[in-house]
Amino acid sequence: METLSINKLVKTFKDGNKEETILKGIDLELSQGEITALIGASGSGKSTLLTVVAGLQKSTKGKIIFEDRELTEMNPTQLRAVRAKRFGFVFQHAHLVQFLTVQEQLQLMVDTAELNWSKKKREEEIKSVLQAVDMWSHKDSYPDNLSGGEKQRVAIARAIIHQPSMLFADEPTASLDSKRSIEVIELLRSLSKERNHTVLMVTHDTDMLKYADRTVIMKDGVISES
Amino acid sequence: MKVAWKEIVKFKTRYLILGTIIFLISLLTMTISGLANGLSYDNASLIKDLPEGTFYMQEKSEDQYNLSHLDEKKMNKIREAAPEATFLSIQMGELENGNKNHSVVFVSTTNSSLFPKVEEGEVILNNSIMAEGVNQGDDLTNSLLDNKLTVEDFVDQQKFSHSSIAFINSTDFQKMYRTDTFQIAFVEGDDTPKFDGLTQYSNKDFLNTIPSYNAEQLSLNMIVIFLLVISGMLFGIFFYMINVQKLGTYGILKAVGMKTSALFKMMWIQMIIITFISLILSIGISQLLTLFMPEGMPFLLTIESASIMSLLFLGIGFIGATLSGFQISKVEPIQAINQGGV
Ligand SMILES: Nc1ncnc2c1ncn2[C@@H]1O[C@H](COP(=O)(O)OP(=O)(O)OP(=O)(O)O)[C@@H](O)[C@H]1O
Ligand SMILES: [Mg+2]
Repeated sequence: METLSINKLVKTFKDGNKEETILKGIDLELSQGEITALIGASGSGKSTLLTVVAGLQKSTKGKIIFEDRELTEMNPTQLRAVRAKRFGFVFQHAHLVQFLTVQEQLQLMVDTAELNWSKKKREEEIKSVLQAVDMWSHKDSYPDNLSGGEKQRVAIARAIIHQPSMLFADEPTASLDSKRSIEVIELLRSLSKERNHTVLMVTHDTDMLKYADRTVIMKDGVISES
Repeated sequence: MKVAWKEIVKFKTRYLILGTIIFLISLLTMTISGLANGLSYDNASLIKDLPEGTFYMQEKSEDQYNLSHLDEKKMNKIREAAPEATFLSIQMGELENGNKNHSVVFVSTTNSSLFPKVEEGEVILNNSIMAEGVNQGDDLTNSLLDNKLTVEDFVDQQKFSHSSIAFINSTDFQKMYRTDTFQIAFVEGDDTPKFDGLTQYSNKDFLNTIPSYNAEQLSLNMIVIFLLVISGMLFGIFFYMINVQKLGTYGILKAVGMKTSALFKMMWIQMIIITFISLILSIGISQLLTLFMPEGMPFLLTIESASIMSLLFLGIGFIGATLSGFQISKVEPIQAINQGGV
């Protein structure tokens, strides 16, 4: 069963009177609980595809259907709600909120997703997710005092705390050395499998491909299965 | 609420600086407005203490009370329409005590519950004259008057044109200034009659006919308004700078689905917290200041006017912060993601 299906997706950038079509009719189906790796040359449009699908920028043409709703028809408010409640994000940089402790970052996400969890449930969930990423002992630390790998683990925790259906990851390991990269990607995989997230992950690093269930390649604005 | 507070705590210095500036500006504003208010009382407590009503003067006096004459005929016409009308006359003058001169403002009125009643040959003085060595029972003289005026009593804070008032009987007043008329009529209430040949003034309009009053209040109020505008701009600039530094964070929070309104709320809460603490401090300290003000310095800051000013500060801070917050609504999450960061 597919969670998300992309249908003849086109994205054109207009720069003054110069037009450039980056996505030239993408078709892709993402199945529930499956990890899809997206690879391709730099500038091929991987990040563009990811952000359009995640509702962070508008598509030019085509359809994106997520859980039987058409994202391409939604207004910004509806898209925001979908992002808050059903999507999780991990970026190249952790992008944590500087003035919040590890634990508070997750609390903020729970609030943002408008989950009416009881205080007890919220505490339990945060504890279990932080234990899963092995950051519980750092729950009261601020981002400034964490290493790159630790920050990224917190970012993963923040991406899954509200139990989203889809996880978008754009080069989640690119800012880490190879040892930390493997730790983070293994973590991402095991958590996604355990919690049944559908994952779309952009990567440069071919070492990461073995952690994906399937790999798709972006080339000349279209996608092909490897 | 919690997130907003967390940020203040984490970036103490920033917010402490803003708070200190707001505190100093609001303290200055309160002090100056206390002074404006004090001066206005010092200038015209005689009028300021009256209930709302209407003043009447002769039209041809052109707003100058000492050129206005209400003769018996006009007074009767006013009494017919408003039996409770009070008539009064005001004139600068001097009282001598032995060889010492005291400048005063002579005020004489018809019988009225609004002013003290004085018999012929008596005078009731503002109590600041006491400090100049005049006591109850003293006989005072005036070069224009043959008989003496005995100090009957003292009253608190009765001043006009920055001078102490001497209430005297209308017979004495008319003898001194060779007149048989009153200058001004006052009728209490808001439903007051109109008369041909007489100009009407509200209490405020009448105050503005006192030349020094208008000039003083205008310049002090200008300063207060400037300070309010400056503090509004400070809020705007400060939050603008803080927001610029946080645009990345805002973008990411928007990307993960946070509402723009939630981000605004956070900024507003911070603005309210900072302003509130600063205002409490400046109200407290300005009240303390009144204790240490030199005697005779006209300063009057009521809790009411302090609260009104505080509300103004909150309103202006709100506007300043909100204007600078427009950047927040313009942030595109996608830019923030591409920029990297913490
Ligand atoms: N907002 C934009 N306006 C104009 N052109 C854009 C915009 N965003 C992306 N592009 C262009 O689209 C192309 C694809 O960019 P994108 O970031 O998707 O590539 P990518 O595959 O993620 O590359 P990388 O591997 O380096 O991250 C690039 O040529 C880029 O210049
Ligand atoms: Mg990219």
